[in-house]
Amino acid sequence: MNHLPVECPRCAFAEISLLATSPVPGVWDVVQCGRCLYTWRTIEPARRTQRDAYPDTFKLTEADIENAIEVPAVPPLLK
Amino acid sequence: MAYDDLRSFLDTLEKEGQLLRITDEVLPEPDLAAAANATGRIGENAPALHFDNVKGFTDARIAMNVHGSWANHALALGLPKNTPVKEQVEEFARRWDAFPVAPERREDAPWRENTQEGEDVDVFSVLPLFRLNDGDGGFYLDKAAVVSRDPDDPDDFGKQNVGTYRIQVIGTNRLAFQPVPMHDVAQHLRKAEEKGEDLPIAITLGNDPVMAIVAGMPMAYDQSEYEMAGALRGAPAPIATAPLTGFDVPWGSEVVIEGVIESRKRQIEGPFGEFTGHYSGGRRMPVIRVDRVSYRTNPVFESLYLGMPWTECDYLVGPNTCVPLLKQLRAEFPEVQAVNAMYTHGLMVIISTAKRYGGFAKAVGMRAMTTPHGLGYVAQVILVDEDVDPFNLPQVMWAMSAKVNPKDDVVVIPNLSVLELAPAAQPAGISSKMIIDATTPVAPDIRGNFSTPAKDLPETAEWAARLQRLIAARG
Ligand SMILES: [Zn+2]
Repeated sequence: MNHLPVECPRCAFAEISLLATSPVPGVWDVVQCGRCLYTWRTIEPARRTQRDAYPDTFKLTEADIENAIEVPAVPPLLK
Repeated sequence: MAYDDLRSFLDTLEKEGQLLRITDEVLPEPDLAAAANATGRIGENAPALHFDNVKGFTDARIAMNVHGSWANHALALGLPKNTPVKEQVEEFARRWDAFPVAPERREDAPWRENTQEGEDVDVFSVLPLFRLNDGDGGFYLDKAAVVSRDPDDPDDFGKQNVGTYRIQVIGTNRLAFQPVPMHDVAQHLRKAEEKGEDLPIAITLGNDPVMAIVAGMPMAYDQSEYEMAGALRGAPAPIATAPLTGFDVPWGSEVVIEGVIESRKRQIEGPFGEFTGHYSGGRRMPVIRVDRVSYRTNPVFESLYLGMPWTECDYLVGPNTCVPLLKQLRAEFPEVQAVNAMYTHGLMVIISTAKRYGGFAKAVGMRAMTTPHGLGYVAQVILVDEDVDPFNLPQVMWAMSAKVNPKDDVVVIPNLSVLELAPAAQPAGISSKMIIDATTPVAPDIRGNFSTPAKDLPETAEWAARLQRLIAARG
């Protein structure tokens, strides 16, 4: 593909990187958000690839990402 | 018949009419997941699916729904494909008694054919990765057998764990990984992280059908999944030594990924449409750095669809969850007849039991909640009499409707442990749990009017078999 998407459909972050390109040239790319790590293939339906079509229920904010619980919690270091 | 790899099992599924090859071009999304999703909606004996013409890929081979029907589950255990579920569980329990069966080490693992190492690792170039559900945070490896060792006792073969955990691909050589705290790999990780050390790990994909079953089976911490696979196969499980970690991995895997869980690091993962029929939201989870990938030429990428039950996941872990609970309960309570833990990995369990004395059934229910698996699951237990088949839901509902006096027979215990993924937990990891005693009260628990039950006629069982023969002969 010629250019990367401009924003993450999930968290609207503007740094998108390329993870993979289709073995058949020019069919699709797999790209990823630099903040929420959301990963998508560029030919997926709009509900997974376009910010305005992405379901509100799955959208994430910066605070959601920072405040997400740790599973499992990091244990204390043994002395 | 024991299968040493996925490919030989796919051949058998095809011969038995239980493999559907889809050769028309399909989209990686949403077609692959939607087709596998559909297998759960077309009846109990849906076939496995094999795709080899996926848009944009040149050599993709994808197998889904391999265990996703009772027919396929029976064939995986080498049983006739029409074996009834209750018989599959009983046969599984019978073979368990052969445990442990020592594995057989082989040197010529087919996954040695190709290798990527270090900077050259790119899982996207090996696997045709794709998304399952709309809201998933990315592409997942969801049917792997993940091998790890106890950092305090790395030479103990029994404490080496083989389990299935959800794994999100978050980079060409990076994965996010979910170890549920109740599971063995979480104990390994805790021990490593307490020392500030990385935890080495091997992730094997496209395994023989019994490996997939034992990797999803709740077993004791120091029991070897390979020795259980041998018991279930009726032949030693073939294993090989993974080149980087030195771990024991299945000989027949399509792909072996090795690396480390990076110590004391958490990164955003998910959501993922889970076996609970709900997404589990974004959490900060451990991450894996992949250092080596070994793979068969033209590997078959095996994945499973999961989401709103029933899906392949339920067929895969249903029977193998019943058997450990049945064995553990019977060890102390031989009155226990059968255990149905096939709903949502045992969040709800139905147990049939004879009664030693009044109040006994409730004790069996409490014990189910304190088994190793019960600690993280078993939030509701229904107890039924010894002559009720817990796999026959109309019979269970009859027992519930006729035998339960809610004030006396429903017990709710607050604030017990449950896995974080349980959607009803509040907070995550904590739930009340419920026992419903739908057994007939026995002395000294004298309640109700149960003295004149109607029973099946003495000739009924014989007639049932005769009718089944007549129906089968009719074709
Ligand atoms: Zn994002």
